[in-house]
Amino acid sequence: MAYGVKLHVWGDRACFTRPEMKVERVSYDVMTPSAARGILEAVHWKPAIRWVIDAIEVLKPIRFQSIRRNEVGSRVPAVAVRKAMKAGEVQDLRMVAEENRQQRAATLLVDVAYVIHAHFELTERAGPGDSEAKHLSMFNRRAAGGQCFQQPCLGVREFPADFALLEDGAAPVSELPPDQRDRDLGWMLLDIDHTNDMTSLFFWAALRDGVMAVPPLNSVEVRS
Amino acid sequence: MTVLAALNGYYDRLADRGEVPPFGYSTERIAHIIVLSPDGEPVEILPWQSLSGKKAEPRPAAVPQSFKRPGTTPRSFFLWDNGKFVLGLGLDKATRQRVAHPANHAAFQELHRRLLAGTEDAGLVALVRFLNAWSTDRFDACGFTDAMLDQNFMFMLDGDRSDAGQLRFLHDRPAARRIWERAVAEGAGDEGICLVTGARQPIARLHPAIKGVMDAQSSGASIVSFNNDAFTSYGKEQGLNAPVSEAAAFGYGAALNALLARGSGNRLVIGDATTVFWADASGGEASARKAEVLFHDLLSPPPAEDADEAQAIRNALLPVSQGRPVREIAPELDERTRFYVLGLSPNIARLSVRFWLEDSFAAIAERVGRHWEDLRIDPAPWRTAPAVWMLLRETAPLGKTENIAPQLAGEVMRAILTGGRYPRSLLAAVITRMRAGDPVNGVKAAICRACLNRDSRLGTKKTEEIPVSLNRDEANPAYRLGRLFAVLEGAQRAALGDVNASIRDRYFGAASATPASVFPMLLRNSNHHLAVLRKGDKPRLGGWFEGEIGQILGGLDSGFPRSLRIEDQGRFAIGYYHQRYSGKAAASTDRPDATEQAVSED
Repeated sequence: MAYGVKLHVWGDRACFTRPEMKVERVSYDVMTPSAARGILEAVHWKPAIRWVIDAIEVLKPIRFQSIRRNEVGSRVPAVAVRKAMKAGEVQDLRMVAEENRQQRAATLLVDVAYVIHAHFELTERAGPGDSEAKHLSMFNRRAAGGQCFQQPCLGVREFPADFALLEDGAAPVSELPPDQRDRDLGWMLLDIDHTNDMTSLFFWAALRDGVMAVPPLNSVEVRS
Repeated sequence: MTVLAALNGYYDRLADRGEVPPFGYSTERIAHIIVLSPDGEPVEILPWQSLSGKKAEPRPAAVPQSFKRPGTTPRSFFLWDNGKFVLGLGLDKATRQRVAHPANHAAFQELHRRLLAGTEDAGLVALVRFLNAWSTDRFDACGFTDAMLDQNFMFMLDGDRSDAGQLRFLHDRPAARRIWERAVAEGAGDEGICLVTGARQPIARLHPAIKGVMDAQSSGASIVSFNNDAFTSYGKEQGLNAPVSEAAAFGYGAALNALLARGSGNRLVIGDATTVFWADASGGEASARKAEVLFHDLLSPPPAEDADEAQAIRNALLPVSQGRPVREIAPELDERTRFYVLGLSPNIARLSVRFWLEDSFAAIAERVGRHWEDLRIDPAPWRTAPAVWMLLRETAPLGKTENIAPQLAGEVMRAILTGGRYPRSLLAAVITRMRAGDPVNGVKAAICRACLNRDSRLGTKKTEEIPVSLNRDEANPAYRLGRLFAVLEGAQRAALGDVNASIRDRYFGAASATPASVFPMLLRNSNHHLAVLRKGDKPRLGGWFEGEIGQILGGLDSGFPRSLRIEDQGRFAIGYYHQRYSGKAAASTDRPDATEQAVSED
């Protein structure tokens, strides 16, 4: 792809939460395209561009681990926040964690590494000064220098991701054993369609030789 | 394959065998049948519960589907329900008095009046007449008793028989089936893409209740549930957060409930993780069943009454431990059979997936064999094979299953089934129990050996493999110190007999953690014991102890270490077990304890 990028991403833990097991989290086996888009947007994003994921390459064996964490069960209602804003004081705006305790277990991925193959497209909000080459060089410069707007994360914010730009020709060694390189992963979440009432888009994911190909959003393989 | 998709596949296999109720029906435990005359008079109350055994147990029957009843508004089931709804009376548990539940009974009446309006079927008309005439004053007159309250009832028309000659209940009558199917179709929600099947179907709002997970809520828990604000996203409610079609939700719920039913043979309770397992029928039905039975026996070998039975079971499981191909283990097993293992853990009204594994049965059997090989220790502390519950029980204070650390069972199962390293907390828990004073038996020593061996094989630092049986030339200082401790304890027992607090009770923890501060004192005291033996009637035994002490100390190059790391404490325990219980040492002390009480998990 003329304006494609390759980003090597790795981390100690990852949790790409399945929608159906969102409360007691269970991770997908492989990074979801929406998580990959989130990592790229954390490095460089402007309203002029939209990232499109082409493929995700898995570099390390897929291993799971189970943990349990104390969290809270309710949200601070928006009404209470608006009231505090109007009144100009925050004394009554609180949520006591001990009263809302929920213990949630999570089954997450351990020791992950991926290579994200992606490209971007210009959106209708691109101005006259925006060109693909300009944004590509911005991304390359930022990724090579480790710059990001916020720390990229592997599915959830508590698992940060380290990233490194892969120049043309450079490829990290894949440690995926041969019996794990070809797998069917079932229906996977492609992304959330924010323009269409937040419906979920799904596609049939499969690992072929350690690479999961991701169809474009409006392709016929995507179910919505 | 994902969990829900695999369960749906299993549902299809069960439906082919006719073991699950069709869509819209569920299997519930019913206690009594109310037999109605065509005028709606209750003729008699037949028991459906099984009367064998001390307590009458309600028996399962396929009835129109139950659903979760959250909140305070009563919602009734169709043509069956418990006494509160059907009769309007319940039993107060505290005072054993009858309590009226008018709202529940009103809900029952309203549902049936609405659905059965205009029906001409004799049985349904009888039910309508019964409901019109019923009031709680008629309770005793119609033959109900207090013992029947708070149990489930279903209905039957007097003399109604199916074509096969069996009792035909009201909900099995064709007219009732038609009415129920129409009601189910009308209650369907919006359409959307199902993430299990990928097809556009009506999406389930609430998912079925899964019953049978140990320590979960008795009315059932859910895998897919969004029962609090903090769990929803994008303003979506309940099931729309994860679109699963009604059919797929029903399928996985029915399959999982069938797997978790008591006596299904597809479930094992290991610590806090209720494990269900099943094989798919790609290699044939017989192969699938054989694989399921074999998996159950691999993880929890059947208790053996005597030595011959133990030998027979060992012979049956021996090919697995040697990594033989599946055909040698059992002739019916097929190479193509895929096996699925799901571990579920309760969290009150929710279930969390502890582990999920799908693989060929051959691979799983091979990994269990490798696990047994890692655990092997001589003299063997088990008669047939190490069961997982036996291993986990050793990590719990007082040996009680409820004291096992919460996540440990799931992680140990994952390590066994994937061939990965055992959780670090397993070794730490066993060492803690030994230092707290629990006897150092073979199972604990075997667990230490397994953890250390796998760490060395799969980790970054390669160390020497720990021997299976006593190795007198082993150079590792921690192992030798464990042996030394066993010899000193043996000397004390031989000289003084049984004392209130032997050196094992007092000093095991300190000796394994900080040898340099304890062993000099123990060696000094051992001289007194050896003198007693020499001057008493067992001089040769005293001489033998001295020789052992000399041999062990001779191999310790650099004196006593100040402290031992936790891995070395494990080696200490293994050395102690080997020296104490094998060969000549066993002749002068006591037999190794082969404790194996049969614990029923189902």
